[in-house]
Amino acid sequence: MEPFELTLTGAAAAIRARELSPVELVDSVLDRIERVEPELGAYATVCAERARRAAREAEAEVRASAEAEARAGAEAARIRGPLHGIPMALKDLIDVAGMATSASSRVRDGHRAPADSAVAARLAGAGAVLLGKTHTHEFAYGLITPQTRNAWDRGKVAGGSSGGSAVAVASGTATFALGTDTGGSIRVPAALNGVVGLKPTYDLVPRDGVTSLSWSLDHVGPITRTVADAAPVLAALTGDAPAPCHQGDQGAELAGLRVGVPHNYYFDHVDPEVEAAVRRAIGRLKDLGAQLVGVDIPMTRYVQATQWGLMVPEATAYHEGTLRSAPELYQEDVRTLLEAGELLPAGDYLRARRAQALMREEWGRLLERVDVIAAPTVPMTAVAAGQASVTWPDGTLEAVSDAYVRLSAPANITGVPALTLPVGHDAAGLPIGMQLLGRPLGEHTLLRVGHAYERTRPVRAALAPTA
Amino acid sequence: MSVTELTPPEAARWAHRAGLSLPAERHAAVASVANHIQKVVAVLRELDFGETPTATASAAPADRVKWKGMADGAL
Repeated sequence: MEPFELTLTGAAAAIRARELSPVELVDSVLDRIERVEPELGAYATVCAERARRAAREAEAEVRASAEAEARAGAEAARIRGPLHGIPMALKDLIDVAGMATSASSRVRDGHRAPADSAVAARLAGAGAVLLGKTHTHEFAYGLITPQTRNAWDRGKVAGGSSGGSAVAVASGTATFALGTDTGGSIRVPAALNGVVGLKPTYDLVPRDGVTSLSWSLDHVGPITRTVADAAPVLAALTGDAPAPCHQGDQGAELAGLRVGVPHNYYFDHVDPEVEAAVRRAIGRLKDLGAQLVGVDIPMTRYVQATQWGLMVPEATAYHEGTLRSAPELYQEDVRTLLEAGELLPAGDYLRARRAQALMREEWGRLLERVDVIAAPTVPMTAVAAGQASVTWPDGTLEAVSDAYVRLSAPANITGVPALTLPVGHDAAGLPIGMQLLGRPLGEHTLLRVGHAYERTRPVRAALAPTA
Repeated sequence: MSVTELTPPEAARWAHRAGLSLPAERHAAVASVANHIQKVVAVLRELDFGETPTATASAAPADRVKWKGMADGAL
């Protein structure tokens, strides 16, 4: 196995045991970037020299730690933790001092971030090594990320808006990455590329220095190859202790856990292969001791209206200045949405804010009855690049972007944490994701449930089958 | 939920009122997208909000304590 193929936890264990140096790991991932990135287009910028320098510093710290240990006859100095020397990528909405935050937009030509975002600073403090910035759908306002190709099939969409981050993790060109999620932008590309994505509880991870799409709905979170890998990244982002990943008896690992299985909404207009894979995965949770409880999802008729009623005017407000000074620099799809947002009355925005409050209350009551809710992440696997809509068996026509947002948006509106993890593939070999939604601040529960599921799966290739 | 649609000239006028001058060739496309957005969000008019205030930017401190306690006890 090459170092670039290692999971975060595998690489961290090897570094801690001094079987692998951060320099070897970072060099391996940079070589991988050279080989596969030209065909994938995951990165907006690769900062190879900066990464090599940081890797050498991380290696020196490991050496110093070992020498201190030898002198003291015990572990006298520690490496910084599980992210020490681990190469990672940041979605290019996240500021790093001195680097451009391009937002994958010409609007940001010549940009230089004056300071690190809070999350970039926390990851740097934890010893992670920045490889570069990954592509987003322009300013995160879309579900496709057209610059980037799906890691499993280059004719398919990467998903978005954190498409570059998901493809980098899936293809071995980053050991982990950060994305942002306003209507599914971490979970959608993670599901479409067969990796793990965590949208934490609203406001748990600081958004300072992260370009906003919609203040009421934006979240920052990790994209990783495994659920176990997500825990130390979340811990570094929040400053909390990592969630303990249970390693005990698999038979009853989830005994006492109540898993809500939606009667409505989450399995409507869902591809049969996606539904079958997710229901099989839910069956595994039952095998692990969980109690399955049928639940009714509240206020589903108002999800899209609330999502749009919040996002559209907030995005337009964020871009107010440049929409007037340099509108021609936006891509056509984003420009039109921003301009149309000027025409939405304040009354509609206020209704959406009040609907958000109602929806939070209703979901709060629902989550007093169950510990987690299990559902598909997206209704269908990655569609062909350029496909605009999907037709469901009852004749309903739905825009691809609407379909990809549909099952993700409730967690953005309510702010509850949501984790996607891979649970299989369709007949074409494209990944399928299951979404676990939890109580506010219930990330540890989501990670434990996801990890319990992950441990039941047969050994599989960790990376997408790219060249 | 029926909504009154904006014509392209009306969309241009509304945009102008908001301080945004739209070139003539954009009036139709912007009107079309604005009408679609309005149709989607208009469904919120069905809701009886009663005394419900707008959502706060973040969960209230008391709620966070409650949820933290439930989260810690879940497994």
